[in-house]
Amino acid sequence: MPVLHQPRDLDEACTLLAELDDPMVYGGGTAIQILLKQGLLFAENLVDLSFVPGLTAIEATATGIRVGAMTPLRRMETDAQVAGVVPLAAATYGHVANPRVRNTASVGGNIAHGDYRLDPPTALLALDAQVELRSAHGQRRVPVRDFFVDFQLTAVEHGELITAIEIPAQPAGSASSYVKLSSLGENDWPSASAAALLVTEAGRRTLRLGIGALAPIPQFVSVDVSGHDLETTVEAAKAAADPLIDPIPDVRGSVTYKRRLGLVAVEDAVRRAWKDQDDD
Amino acid sequence: MRMLNLTVNGRVHDVPVDDNELLLDVLRTKVGCTSVREGCGVGACGACTVLVDGRSVSSCLALAVRHDGAEIVTADGLPGDDAVVEAFVECGAMQCGYCIPGFVLMTHELLAENPQPDAEQIAAHLEGNICRCGTYPEICAAVTSAAARGARL
Repeated sequence: MPVLHQPRDLDEACTLLAELDDPMVYGGGTAIQILLKQGLLFAENLVDLSFVPGLTAIEATATGIRVGAMTPLRRMETDAQVAGVVPLAAATYGHVANPRVRNTASVGGNIAHGDYRLDPPTALLALDAQVELRSAHGQRRVPVRDFFVDFQLTAVEHGELITAIEIPAQPAGSASSYVKLSSLGENDWPSASAAALLVTEAGRRTLRLGIGALAPIPQFVSVDVSGHDLETTVEAAKAAADPLIDPIPDVRGSVTYKRRLGLVAVEDAVRRAWKDQDDD
Repeated sequence: MRMLNLTVNGRVHDVPVDDNELLLDVLRTKVGCTSVREGCGVGACGACTVLVDGRSVSSCLALAVRHDGAEIVTADGLPGDDAVVEAFVECGAMQCGYCIPGFVLMTHELLAENPQPDAEQIAAHLEGNICRCGTYPEICAAVTSAAARGARL
């Protein structure tokens, strides 16, 4: 079993990550515990962030909100500020696993896990979030659109940990929706997922799409849909999403199945976002 | 080994634990709360549910040492006249009963947040709990009945 370290502040956590052999950050711990039980996790040292203060705040910023890395996923779903500033994020986080897992799993650990099927990255991509990273050498920010590098691989470097995610406010008059399609059961990983955000700014209308579970990493595409009606927006969205879909076949569906389901998820997300806009 | 301080169902326990011990095992073997049960072991079935500082947690995925000083409620610590338990009994919301402690605690969490949930909200909150006997209709009726009784922890 790996050795558990429980630093009491961020500096101590960064020092541990820099100096220990083969360390891994222990956030909420839901994924790590499952992987440990399955014998799939090989870290020698776990650096537990649960006693590091200052990592669970949700704060308003000049441009949106900043969410501490150890904030439980469930707070993203229940917090009034999140629902008001970034409703797409609130809706998407509410789809992760089940309420108990959401009570424990953390916002930072979720994206650090890097799984291509995660729900939150789809919304974070559409919302153009930034990931705040810290190490013994200092702090840096990585756009979430550059964060997912390859299958199970993120931009987090050795010795770094995620301290926060900054999410720009959803523009006034925007509309959004998240669709998750699971083939094995209501609570399972999705076979396909899509977050759609319709933004109207300076006379132009843009559709931003985050796509999950359909390629080795979550995908993002932005489409100019100025002057489009619902049907031509749906067609434009599917045409833009199609080349990004590169499914991994597994027990949840073949390549053909997931490709088809992916376009259904995109279409459903666009139609629901459109309806959301009409309802406002 | 280190000493862990847990308040379980209102009683303070100081228990020696290893760093890698799960809250599930500590509660069952060192505190004696056998209503906390292992089902799937991966947080998906809800049989191991406990309330930690009022929030539902899958104890099968929770490292015990992260919960030093926590206040924990398990189903066997609920009072004999607990309104949620009474609603489950009166609605016949169980067959074998293995999963029911988890459902009861999830119901308490739901009603604390939302005292009058509709059917959709009940299903959404209990989505991560599995009853192999399939008594879901009775369980949903029991939650509605518990809400009507104004159940409170």
